[in-house]
Amino acid sequence: MDNATGARLDDRIERSALGDQLAFEQIVTQHQGMVFSMACHFLRDRSLAEELAQEVFLSLHQNMHSIKSPEHLTFWLRKVTSHRCIDQSRRQKLRPTVSLEDVAEPAASASENDLFLSEMLRRVVDTLPEKARMVVILRYQEDLEPTEIARVLDMPLNTVKSHLRRSLSMLRDKLSRTLGEVTL
Amino acid sequence: MSRLDDELRNAFKRQQPPADFTARVLERVARQPEPRPSLWQRLAALIEPPKMRWVAIGVTAALLIAIGAAEYSRLANKVVDDTGKLSQAAPPDEKKPAVKPAEIDAVITHPNAVVVPKKHTQSLKRHQLAAARVEKAPEVKSEAEAAKDKLMLALSIASSALNDAQKAVHDDGPKP
Repeated sequence: MDNATGARLDDRIERSALGDQLAFEQIVTQHQGMVFSMACHFLRDRSLAEELAQEVFLSLHQNMHSIKSPEHLTFWLRKVTSHRCIDQSRRQKLRPTVSLEDVAEPAASASENDLFLSEMLRRVVDTLPEKARMVVILRYQEDLEPTEIARVLDMPLNTVKSHLRRSLSMLRDKLSRTLGEVTL
Repeated sequence: MSRLDDELRNAFKRQQPPADFTARVLERVARQPEPRPSLWQRLAALIEPPKMRWVAIGVTAALLIAIGAAEYSRLANKVVDDTGKLSQAAPPDEKKPAVKPAEIDAVITHPNAVVVPKKHTQSLKRHQLAAARVEKAPEVKSEAEAAKDKLMLALSIASSALNDAQKAVHDDGPKP
């Protein structure tokens, strides 16, 4: 982020905290993709994800005075979205009851259809426990390092690394069995 | 970086919400009642400028007035009233007359002393005590005057500070 962009964002945060609706609208537009995607990948339901993302931004509006910088804003949104997703999943038992073994295996090879592989990966990740699932989403959607994930999810760094290691190992096993000929 | 990493990045790339997402968020924001500040937020607001100035000035003025009043009260207790008697509230060491009654007794009962009838010794004692009190009165009065002057000065400073603060706050406030 260059200095001019950073200064513009700082200005938007300040104006939004003072009740400037236009500045808040710009902040929503800028971050809605991140918040919505996190919720959508986690909950696997677009309408629920939209509802949750709206609540996150409502909460942001109420807490704008506590936001100190653009970096803090992004961190705050990731943290609140992650925790709300995990709470929502636990509260409503949204997590699919299907086990990893029940996940349908693709009939075609990955090389023939990348979309199919992506969907397969999402479905396998969907079978992970809540925190492990969010670790994978933050790692691969937001491209965060394990230390940043640990801060967002308030968990020890070693736990994050352990979640990642186990999740990747499980994904490799599952996909190797399914797509034996593809090296992952 | 393995192919699995690439595939995961591809599978979990960002998605965009519906086009009217921002509008719906803003609509919900507009419908929300104004959040009521918590007790801590209201207390914190007190130390924000320009309120902080008001609080600091108020505390300073109150301290000045309290100190001035205490000083005035302490010295006023020393003042001799119209009957020539010292106030009851005066500290014990300041109530002592210039000549102690015991000393008068010692002089009167001294073997070489002129014999004075008893009724006259009582009168003499009273006279000596009254003289000692009157002798001290101007000094105590001058101290009281000085304390009064100090109190008036403190009140004047506090008043001036309050006027300055009020002016500053008006200057900072929104222009009509």
